[in-house]
Amino acid sequence: MCFKLAQCVLLGSVLLVGADIHGTVIIERKLTRHNVTASAGMYQRGVAVELGTDPEVDPLVFERSHVAVYLEAGPSSPATGAVKASIEQRDRRYVPDLVVIPAGSTVAFPNFDPIFHNVFSLSKAKSFDLGNYPKGQIRMVTFPVPGLVAVYCHLHSNMAATIVVAPNQWATQADGNGIFVLKDVPSGTYTIVAWHKTAGTFRKTVTIREPNDAEVSFTLPYVGPKDATPVARR
Amino acid sequence: MRFATRTFLSSFIPFAVLLAVSFWAIRGSVIATVRDGLRASVRDNEVALAREQARNEGRDRKLLQGVAENPTLKAGLQLLATERSAKDQARNTVQDQLSEICDSLNFDFIMISGAHGEPLAAVVRYAGGFAPIKLDRLRAPEQGFFSADDRLYDVTSVPIHEAGAEVATLTVGGRFDISRFGVPAVLLHKGAVIEAQMRDLAPAQIEKALVACLPAADCEPRIQDQAYLSLPLGLNTGGGDDSYVLRSLQNVDAASAPLRAVLRKLFLVAGLIALAAMLGISALSSRSIAQPLADVAAYLRLSSATGELPEFPESKGGVQEIRDLTQGFNHAAKAVRESRERLTRAYVQFVGSLAQALDARDAYTAGHSRRVSDYSCAIAKAMNIPEQEMEIIRVGALLHDLGKIGISDLVLQKPGRLTPEETELIQQHPVIGKRILENVQGLEAYLGIVELHHENLDGTGYPYGLRGEETPLHARIVKVADAYDAMTSDRPYRRGRSHAEAIAVLRRVSGSETDPAVVEAFALLGDQRKPQVALTGDRSLHSLSQAVEDETGRSVPAAPETNELTVARGRENS
Repeated sequence: MCFKLAQCVLLGSVLLVGADIHGTVIIERKLTRHNVTASAGMYQRGVAVELGTDPEVDPLVFERSHVAVYLEAGPSSPATGAVKASIEQRDRRYVPDLVVIPAGSTVAFPNFDPIFHNVFSLSKAKSFDLGNYPKGQIRMVTFPVPGLVAVYCHLHSNMAATIVVAPNQWATQADGNGIFVLKDVPSGTYTIVAWHKTAGTFRKTVTIREPNDAEVSFTLPYVGPKDATPVARR
Repeated sequence: MRFATRTFLSSFIPFAVLLAVSFWAIRGSVIATVRDGLRASVRDNEVALAREQARNEGRDRKLLQGVAENPTLKAGLQLLATERSAKDQARNTVQDQLSEICDSLNFDFIMISGAHGEPLAAVVRYAGGFAPIKLDRLRAPEQGFFSADDRLYDVTSVPIHEAGAEVATLTVGGRFDISRFGVPAVLLHKGAVIEAQMRDLAPAQIEKALVACLPAADCEPRIQDQAYLSLPLGLNTGGGDDSYVLRSLQNVDAASAPLRAVLRKLFLVAGLIALAAMLGISALSSRSIAQPLADVAAYLRLSSATGELPEFPESKGGVQEIRDLTQGFNHAAKAVRESRERLTRAYVQFVGSLAQALDARDAYTAGHSRRVSDYSCAIAKAMNIPEQEMEIIRVGALLHDLGKIGISDLVLQKPGRLTPEETELIQQHPVIGKRILENVQGLEAYLGIVELHHENLDGTGYPYGLRGEETPLHARIVKVADAYDAMTSDRPYRRGRSHAEAIAVLRRVSGSETDPAVVEAFALLGDQRKPQVALTGDRSLHSLSQAVEDETGRSVPAAPETNELTVARGRENS
């Protein structure tokens, strides 16, 4: 899908059986407005709280660590490798606010705040409402269908988390440096997808020839010449 | 009262009164204007404030209606309504939501009440953060002032609808800050001061002053003897006893004090300057009016003191009226002077005629008076006697023997020795002469000569036997001239002595009878006698008329050739 060599940052080759895909996500600018609120535990008399300010984190680290990477399934790929994940409700936030799971996995939502929370989603992949529940309770949801699930709280409009339900086990998140690895991918030609909440979905084709590892690099958001068709658009 | 004082006062006092009244009026109107301006500005300010307030409220209300539709808040309410087990956490949840709303919309107070007004949750801004407050008896008004947790809030309420029904009420407010008004304000609740910006006034004073003010009307109370202006700020809410009243309370006197001080200073300075200028102008004008009159008055006083009627100096630049006055006076004085001179002259002529008639009684003494007069004048001239006194001497000498009118010709023309009685009679003539003249006004100056021309220096003369300087110089001069003429004239019984002989005789008796200085002055002059003319009756008559004419100063009519010398002499003497 590369029209010019310079634009193609695809490096390396694909290995045979069990070969890994090494990749880098390059993000040069801030994409997300970080929404922070005071922790619920602070609503006690006499405590001064400063609201509305971001914690001192590198915004690019935040962006890179919020990129989900997975292989799009062929029609015959079975959903394998279901896991148990957890999204905690702490300080009126979902922590973490992004999880990447294979289809069929279950996510737990424990409430650690001294106030009620509510967990619901209206997404196509999984629509649910866990209701209001107080501190100490845990409610769980299983996600059998691949897709994006946006999770919210009725009581706190600024609480949001995203669950990326991948079609198979080859799904991960980039780390703060944008590095990701998809392990033990059999030989074949795949469409590799990078997803960022604001930048959108980016697809690339990668061919694995065992035992050679393949390398893939994404630049988010896509910046190219005007006449070039973007690899992917949200 | 002097004229100058009067003119000064009559010009100064009206001016001063006018000035004082106008300054007072101007000052009053300026202060009134200042106060009105201040009041207008306060009112404008308050109107603007009220408008701003109304606009803010409208905006707040719209915003609040948006907030009331907040689904999370509704969810929280539902949670609060439905949760049975963990009520505290449910309330915490809602309080948390309220805190967030408060924070994002910058309110200081937020409260949610149920459908029946029962308070469900309330949060206030507290030391930078938020804190829930106790809900006991919290009942917020729909709009207005609300005291919660010992603080005063300015609140607005909106209903929260759920499925078409009003399920709750959201009340939000800002902390009431009395200093946010542009004017000093005071907030009263049930007539008691809750908040006031005036730190210098005790709340009791404010309450007392404002008790008479109607809630919705302007009011001008006096506090501590200062005028205040109090206007309703249009934020009054509620009714009856439980009403809050927000009023401005501004010290008009203090606000206008700097301006008034400036005005006072200005008026004082201007007033003093104007007063001083007026004083000067009044003084000058009164002086310019009164001075010429004072000059005239001084001149008149002087002339009344001296008895003379001098002529006023002609003042070119003077006042027309004063000029007319002095000219009139000059004319009158001139007329009086002339008539007085004419009178005097007439007397002199009359008396001179008498003297001439006397002389003419005896051919031998004819011309005696005139000659004595001539000699006396010559001596006086030689002795540098002033012109005015010369005139006295001339006339006095003419009249010196007037007293002989009252003495019989038998005695006067008696040849031979006189008896002592006859001598005594003769010696009466100076006193008789004096008696004749002393009743005639204007001849006082000649009395001395007439009376005393027979006194001797050593006191042996008659009629009084005066010594030395007691006899006036005029009389002493005339005595010498008289004696000389007596000696040099022919008498029926002897011929006249020569000049030298006569001078020798005079010198011999000088010091005892005659004044040596006069004698010496006369001796130095030399022979003053004129050639003797024949003494005829006709000549004598002519001489008399000439004497009269000389005295009147009129020109002598053309005389015959033979009279040439007499005419010439008359001219010389005039």
